[in-house]
Amino acid sequence: MKKKLSKEKNSYEGSISSSYKNKELLKSTILLGIFATAGAFFIWWIMLMIFTDGLEKSSAVPIEVTYLVFIIVYSVFITIIVLIYLYNTAYVKNFSYKISEDHIVIKHGVLTKIVATIPYSRIQNINIVNGVFDRMFKTFTVKIETAGSSAAAASAKSGHVKPEGYIPGLKDPKTIEKKIKEMMTKYSAVPSGLEDKIFKPEELAFDNFISYILSKMREGEKLKTSITELSEKANLSAADLAEKVGVPLQTINYLAEGRYNPSLALAYKIAEVLHCKIEDLFKLV
Amino acid sequence: MKFKKKITSRIKQFREELELPQLELAKLVGVSRQTIYYLERGSYNPSLTISFKISEILKKPIHDIFYQEPVIKDILEGKSLAELREVAEIATINLEKLASLSEIDDEHLTKDFKEDTLIKIALGLGIDFEDLFEKEAEN
Repeated sequence: MKKKLSKEKNSYEGSISSSYKNKELLKSTILLGIFATAGAFFIWWIMLMIFTDGLEKSSAVPIEVTYLVFIIVYSVFITIIVLIYLYNTAYVKNFSYKISEDHIVIKHGVLTKIVATIPYSRIQNINIVNGVFDRMFKTFTVKIETAGSSAAAASAKSGHVKPEGYIPGLKDPKTIEKKIKEMMTKYSAVPSGLEDKIFKPEELAFDNFISYILSKMREGEKLKTSITELSEKANLSAADLAEKVGVPLQTINYLAEGRYNPSLALAYKIAEVLHCKIEDLFKLV
Repeated sequence: MKFKKKITSRIKQFREELELPQLELAKLVGVSRQTIYYLERGSYNPSLTISFKISEILKKPIHDIFYQEPVIKDILEGKSLAELREVAEIATINLEKLASLSEIDDEHLTKDFKEDTLIKIALGLGIDFEDLFEKEAEN
């Protein structure tokens, strides 16, 4: 247990501001208010048609009935608003997020509890949204867009975009964005090795691709190679070598120029063809 | 004819000799702990720069940390005697010859086994031929 605690040291936890529930309340009051008023007039109009058999004598609707219609409609409206307020209070209370070493965990839900875990390698971009209602209450929404999630697919279909990583009602989104980016650069770089698929678990392929890009961006470490000298010594042209190794000629050319960081499996294959050790073939500068 | 090879890693063993926790190694190399975990499990083909860094930190040559083994070796060792007997029967060879597959190198493979036999062995094991053996590029 103690070990687990020390592992979590690098994480960042937080909850959302209670301004969120006020914002949602205002939003739903305005929307439902318009709806309820329209509904009440509609019902009153139907009453008018029933009572007067057309539009001949509009005063035939008793004033008590008109009042009753409006009272019923508005009390339903107020009940719904109260329920929404209670729901959002619970939503704020239940919402928490954690930014840890290799993923973001978002816990939310009032009736159905959801724990969403987003690995950094799947994050495509982070958007900070500040809508009209958001501005009134000085809150922000952070949307973490992910690749290929069911949520993304569903939202693309319906046109309503609510990504997997959705953190509303934040007072200070910059800190979170900074924290996520910091964690991403610190912990998510994983080795490349795109060509040898057989020894890799399928689900890692995409993570690999992302981390390949990340590791490219991350630092300027370079491989010094004596691939040209050694293949000359073995009387092989670059094309011959490429054929024997079973890769495109371009790969060998890139390697010779030191522009490409090969996978270990590829390095082994080349070393095998040239009858030498990997350490003779490449050096880390 | 060549064996298809798989890279097996001894990171865990060497790491434990140095009493280096996974997370520490990950930080020294500059990768996530998950990466080290996958590397130790051997289900991962690392990039050369990372291999070099690990070799530098563990103070061992690359071919000691990540050594290559024919894929078939693992598969044969995982089979029971009865299963091996069945495979040998399908390939119409004797059991000793089948067992020798996990010992010999590429040169002996070409010499001792016909392609037909290897295809039958792969069939008996229920694994694609291409996953176990490689044909050598013709010159």
